[in-house]
Amino acid sequence: MNFDRLFELAKEAGIESIQVYLEENEQLELSVFKGELEKNQMANTSSLIIQGIYKGKMGRMTTEVIDLDQADEWVDAIVKSASLIESQDEVFIYEGDKDYPEIEGLYQPDLHEMDIAKKIQLAFDLESKMAKADERIDISQSMYNEVTKRVLIQNSKGLKLEKRVNNAFVGGQVVARADGDNRSAFDYEQSNVISDFNLDEIAEKMVTKAVSLLGAKSIKSSPYEIILTNDASASLLQAYASMFSAESVQKGMSKLSDKIGQTIANDLITIVDDPFLAKSPRSGAFDDEGVKTQHKELISSGTLKGYLHNLKTAKKADSTSTGNGFRGGVVPTNFYIQPGSSKYDELVKSMDKGMIITDLQGTHSGTNAISGDFSLQASGYYVEKGEIVKPVALITVAGNYLSLLQDVEAVCDDLKFAYNFIGSPSLKIKSLAVSGE
Amino acid sequence: MLEKSVIERVINTALDSQAEFAEVFIEDKKQSSIMMQSNTVEQAVNQIIFGIGIRVAKGYNSVYGYTNSAKEEDLIQLASDLAKSFQGERVRENIALGELKQGSKHSIKKMPDTVDMKEKVTIVKRANKAAREYSEEIKQVSVSYMDYVQNVWVASSEDIYVTDQRVRTRLGIHSVANDGKDMQSGFNGPGGLYGFEFYETFSVEEAAQEASRVAVTMLHADECPSGVMPVVIDNGFGGVIFHEACGHSLEATSVAKNASVFSGKKGDQIANPIVTAIDDGTIENAWGSANFDDEGRPQEKRVLIKDGVLNTYMIDYLNGKRMNEHSTGSGRRESYRFAPTSRMSNTYIDNGESTFDEIIANTEYGLYAKKMGGGSVNPSTGDFNFAVMEGYLIRDGKIAEPVKGATLVGTGKDALMKIDMVGNNLLRAQGMCGSLSGSIPTDVGQPTLRVSSMTVGGRKAAN
Repeated sequence: MNFDRLFELAKEAGIESIQVYLEENEQLELSVFKGELEKNQMANTSSLIIQGIYKGKMGRMTTEVIDLDQADEWVDAIVKSASLIESQDEVFIYEGDKDYPEIEGLYQPDLHEMDIAKKIQLAFDLESKMAKADERIDISQSMYNEVTKRVLIQNSKGLKLEKRVNNAFVGGQVVARADGDNRSAFDYEQSNVISDFNLDEIAEKMVTKAVSLLGAKSIKSSPYEIILTNDASASLLQAYASMFSAESVQKGMSKLSDKIGQTIANDLITIVDDPFLAKSPRSGAFDDEGVKTQHKELISSGTLKGYLHNLKTAKKADSTSTGNGFRGGVVPTNFYIQPGSSKYDELVKSMDKGMIITDLQGTHSGTNAISGDFSLQASGYYVEKGEIVKPVALITVAGNYLSLLQDVEAVCDDLKFAYNFIGSPSLKIKSLAVSGE
Repeated sequence: MLEKSVIERVINTALDSQAEFAEVFIEDKKQSSIMMQSNTVEQAVNQIIFGIGIRVAKGYNSVYGYTNSAKEEDLIQLASDLAKSFQGERVRENIALGELKQGSKHSIKKMPDTVDMKEKVTIVKRANKAAREYSEEIKQVSVSYMDYVQNVWVASSEDIYVTDQRVRTRLGIHSVANDGKDMQSGFNGPGGLYGFEFYETFSVEEAAQEASRVAVTMLHADECPSGVMPVVIDNGFGGVIFHEACGHSLEATSVAKNASVFSGKKGDQIANPIVTAIDDGTIENAWGSANFDDEGRPQEKRVLIKDGVLNTYMIDYLNGKRMNEHSTGSGRRESYRFAPTSRMSNTYIDNGESTFDEIIANTEYGLYAKKMGGGSVNPSTGDFNFAVMEGYLIRDGKIAEPVKGATLVGTGKDALMKIDMVGNNLLRAQGMCGSLSGSIPTDVGQPTLRVSSMTVGGRKAAN
């Protein structure tokens, strides 16, 4: 697509510089439910985000009608949008970096080109393994979601960057039923290399979890020693990732302001933003602003090292962008707690009286990203003398995320990423308040 | 827009297979949004959303595809790709669409696209000012403004050819109170199926002050004690309890698959007889209303629970086939990017006979949840959880000190039976509901009611 005409029209309208971000997505979503192909969805979409600096303000518009004949209307919309902006923040259209890191394997043609019929078969196979793994499995649903994304960034300062990534999510959900009790479990694998998907393992993990939670009951309210599994810890980290954004810090919405250089977590904790992670669609050499990405530690052995920046927040802080300018704000790439050396099984064995939390529900409402407080519905297992005694549900765990990071006693080696590529290994926490009966 | 003959050719291409059903959904939406933070307008964006979704089904198995392209050849190609899932001898004749039907129940007085963005910014500034002036402890306010005009066309092989225009407007105020030690926030987000005249129906200043009031009150609140106790849930957004705990389990999406605790329970007593619950997509100018659902059927008023007895589910066309029931006009979707499924519209527990004062006075000790936050539910187990945004303890039949950090946990089935007092002050409030077919506007609502016992999670041991 040739944007020269748009850039010319923009110039004539008094727009100093202009940038287009074109994203094209090809998606396939499959789901097999109890032996039937329940969802089979294909899509081809493109969207265009246009940003332009007019009288020192950034105007913005987005459209899914990508027809260059409408370029004059787009220019008009940019001017109108910019005219309303009052923010005094300096805005940027980036001329580009000298060089960009080369990242291999972001796009794997074998995955993209594999016949749809084979992908459907894979979803059927997974569902059948889930359904047959245990007679108490009442409902099983497998999913295969694949996306191929192309991004083009082009601006009037001569920058032109392109990337293509692909990724598949293979997983599902089971409901186990026995004696009138229902328990569900969800698990998945993400990669762009088809041989990475071990269907037996995905099915087994999910089924084992659902079945082992059958008969779960509440437990006596008390503070308990806690093991947060990798899944549970990742969902909590996700709720608090915004604390590390310079945008939140500068707006007074983060408890981490003025804490750089301070110890804010146990020295076992290192939190990383890694744009070079293999097989992740969040990886890439540049962000949406065209800035080169970089690997960085936000917390390094317990010490806060810095925040995530885009061009705007970096300028305000007299710093440089960390290459985290995504979707008009500051967003992590692959963001995770670095794995440690503890073994999950050994941690369980070493626990005298405590709880393993495998699931946290309602993290979108039960967490306060500003104060760090949380109070969340949880399920998992009660442990006594190193043995799992019984499954537990209908309890809440409450605490504060920053205190939790300080109370970490062990970090496992089992890093796992959530679907949005925020990840964590399992963590041992000194104590959390559990309320149940 | 697409010509009728093009839509017919697309549908008929899809039917050139064993498919029994084919549907075209066209969406043309223009949205404007404004964001103000730190006393400055930081964003003002116009968005053009346009796309076409095609659904093809045999029995209750369906395939769905969507594209931004309005070119006939692209749509025919997509329809024929989708039909490949149902290869075999044709079962349906070509169809011809009838007259285009248009709904007109919800009148709009000031179309948002005719109002200058500057006027919209004025509303945002009024809200910002009022929220900040409420208290010196309010240190940060963000105000978001949103309006859109969504035009949809739905055509299907079931003799459906309709168009509907949904004009929606919403203002969101998020206030943060900070005393140097603690930060607490409050939110208020009034919205409706209105144009810009919405801002003549209520006080922008009062709506903004309400968000700040919650933040300041919670700043001075003690941690909520945990334990099992009676919970009085106030009217308005308190209805999120029913929405999450029961509403989702009454959607055909989970009922049809036998994945809901309420599957096969029609006619059964599932709630205390003082509970009647309704999902009404026809309420004039309500946030979750429309003339037609996103499968082209007229919106309806559905009495879900009558005097505690399960009366009807919320059913979309395909799940209806699975259940051997008719659609209740409940097929909804966020946009052309989603195949529709059964969803709530404006869902509420109907008025009972108690007064607010009676409910409080009859509760010796418990939690008064004045404002609820969001929550979620696992439809297969009915386990729910939601956050209390503004809460107070009730002591000796009187509202006592404010408490923060409370979460309500339970199961829908259980909570419905334990509702033992229902007030007479029904109020609805606006929310966004996320599920299989995306994030859609829904009203929640209820009068003040009491659940006789519920697990309250907090950070303080029980007293």
